[in-house]
Amino acid sequence: RYVRQLQRLQLLFSPTAADARGAREFVEEAAQDFARQHPDVVLYVSPRSGPGPAPVLRAEYLNGTVRDELIASKTSEEILQLATKLANQSGLDIIRIRKPFHTDNPSIQGQWHPLTNKPSILTVQGPRLQPQ
Amino acid sequence: MVVLSAARWVRSRLSDRFWRVQEVLKYARHFRGRKNRCYKLAVRSVRRAFVKSTKARREKKRSLRALWITRIGAASLEHGLKYPAFISNLLKSQVELNRKVLADLAIYEPKTFKSLAALAQRRRQEGFLAALGDGKEPEGIFSRIVHHH
Repeated sequence: RYVRQLQRLQLLFSPTAADARGAREFVEEAAQDFARQHPDVVLYVSPRSGPGPAPVLRAEYLNGTVRDELIASKTSEEILQLATKLANQSGLDIIRIRKPFHTDNPSIQGQWHPLTNKPSILTVQGPRLQPQ
Repeated sequence: MVVLSAARWVRSRLSDRFWRVQEVLKYARHFRGRKNRCYKLAVRSVRRAFVKSTKARREKKRSLRALWITRIGAASLEHGLKYPAFISNLLKSQVELNRKVLADLAIYEPKTFKSLAALAQRRRQEGFLAALGDGKEPEGIFSRIVHHH
C-alpha cells in the first residue's frame, strides 16, 4: 500500500511583501483543492508579519529531511506544480546514485578466496598423527 | 557628451561576488594545495577536472571491460582453461553471458563458474573430435544448437 513520504508542507510568507503575491494567490485559490487532493499531507499556512526573509515552501518528510523551496515572484500555478512535485518525492537526498542495485547477501555459494579452488589438503587440519 | 550614462554605469557595483566565487570553489574543495582555496587557481583546475570527467566516461567502459577480462582469465586459468578458449567455447555452446556477469560469478559464485568452465572444456573437446575425428563418431552432445524461432 502506498504511504506518502511527505509529512507536512509549510507556507511561510509575509502578507505585505511584493514577491509573496503568488503565495497569497495560491493560498486564496488553490491551497484548499491541493489539501483535499492530498489528504495525507498536512498543509500549514503561516504568514509572518513585517519585512522578513523571502517566502519559502518548506517540505518535511517521514525520514526527517526538510526541504525549502523559494516561491518568491512565482505565479500560483508554478507554486502548485512545485507542491505536487514535492508531494510525489521521497525524502532521500538528491545526489548521484552510484549503483542502481544493492544486495545484503551478494554471495550464495561463498565468496571466492585464494583457497577455494585448491586441493583441500591445504586447508583441512586433521588429527595430528602421533610420531611412531 | 556621454556624461549621464557614465555616471549610471559607475553606480552599479557587484554585490554577490562571494556567491559567484563559491559556486566554483565548492567543486574544488577536495583538491590539493592552493587550488582548493584561491579562486584564480581553482577556476583552471575545476575546468580541467570537468573536462577530464566527461572524457573519462568513454574510457570507463573500456577499462571496466579490460578489468572483467583479466578477472575471467585468471578464474578460468584456475580451472585449466585460457580466456580465449573459455569465451569462444561458451559462445559456441550458446551461453551468452557478458563479461560483467561472468566476472561477478567468478567472484561470488565460484561453483557456478567451475561448472561453466567444465562446460567450455567439454565443448572444446567435442570441437577437436569433430575437426580431427572425421565423421565416424556421432556429433557431440553439447555441440547441438537450439534454434529459437
